[in-house]
Amino acid sequence: MTLRDRIGRRVIPRALVALSTVRWPRRAAAAVRRALGGRARVQLFVAFDDPYSAVAVLGLADRVAGRRAVLAIEPVVERGIPGDPAVDAKRRYAIVDARRLARRDGLELARTEPLAADATAFLAQWAAAAPQGAVRTAFCAAAMRRLWCATDGPVQPHEYAALWRELVGGEPPGDSAGVRDGERRMRRRRLYDTPVAVVHGQWFFAHERLAQVEHRLDELGWTVTA
Amino acid sequence: MSAPRVEFFFSFRSPYSYLAAPRAFALPRHFDVELVFRGVMPMAMRGQAVPLAKRLHTLRDTKREADRLGLPFGRVHDPIGAGALRCLLVGEHAADAGRVEAFVLEASRAIWSRAADVACDGGLRPICERAGLRWEACAAALEDPVLRARVDANTQRLADLRHWGVPVFALGDELFWGQDRIEDLELTLRQAGRQIR
Repeated sequence: MTLRDRIGRRVIPRALVALSTVRWPRRAAAAVRRALGGRARVQLFVAFDDPYSAVAVLGLADRVAGRRAVLAIEPVVERGIPGDPAVDAKRRYAIVDARRLARRDGLELARTEPLAADATAFLAQWAAAAPQGAVRTAFCAAAMRRLWCATDGPVQPHEYAALWRELVGGEPPGDSAGVRDGERRMRRRRLYDTPVAVVHGQWFFAHERLAQVEHRLDELGWTVTA
Repeated sequence: MSAPRVEFFFSFRSPYSYLAAPRAFALPRHFDVELVFRGVMPMAMRGQAVPLAKRLHTLRDTKREADRLGLPFGRVHDPIGAGALRCLLVGEHAADAGRVEAFVLEASRAIWSRAADVACDGGLRPICERAGLRWEACAAALEDPVLRARVDANTQRLADLRHWGVPVFALGDELFWGQDRIEDLELTLRQAGRQIR
């Protein structure tokens, strides 16, 4: 085995795994933040055409709500591994798989076919223009619920405009830079698909790691408040 | 009524396959099913791009999941290339010898938690012997074109199912992808009345 082989096959993976187990710096930072009255931050990158994102938004909105934590939703449109030959198969399988994951949380997916990114891009634009925090979370959760759990077939923007008026107020915005900013932040963190939850230095594919996100918040001291 | 068949698509290069294997092989002990092991070539040896960010995330996430499942993980020796193929060939031989569970569990644990270099005989032989296999027969398996054809057929079978990753469980037309989807497969089997009481 050459030295290059040894480094690539053994040294780097082993070091990476070992480093991932070092918890104390983040715990210490979290303790300081809590002592100063700070909240935890769960940054969640989602796409409206992604059924896994619906599972993540609806699952995390509930799980984060009982803690001193902020769910910061970042809607994006562009996602996935560039040039991925399996992208169509993945998106078709995601419907079946997300349906099973949703049932674990007591939700039923109504949609049976994948959505095109273009068909839901307006929702990302709107959500990115909503104030970050409770208002954006409420709009995203309501829109995801309607999109994936209550409707099938073509997406009707006027139905979501009514949700916007009810939950955000006023008329839905036009084009906003928020989506492109979110996509830039996602790329900068080398996140390649949705839904991803970033929790104080660790990231998770949120739809399948809801319990682990909760565990991470517990570990950092932001436990469920009575 | 015959037991339904569950096909278990596995790669020795996939740490998630390693995490899935103990629960996969336990399925016939809890459910009335026939488990069929299908060792497949690693994604990166099937011409699919695996970006660096994905590889790094997989290692970190596997460590978290391994801790949760109580499995050792971290002293890794990436078997991509000859190592993965050699394990696949011995895996086919082990299936013929009725030792596939022992071999797959032993080999994957050695790769992902003891940094065994399965590309060389010094790394593979003790694994085979601990799994109850004769080394001479395993060495012959490494050169056996029939076993190689079976590995290729398993890999093609996964492609025919229009799936790309591992571990995958196929129950009839239903696919379950991921070590953390075994609970969904188990639920489906329970609902079909296949749980052994």
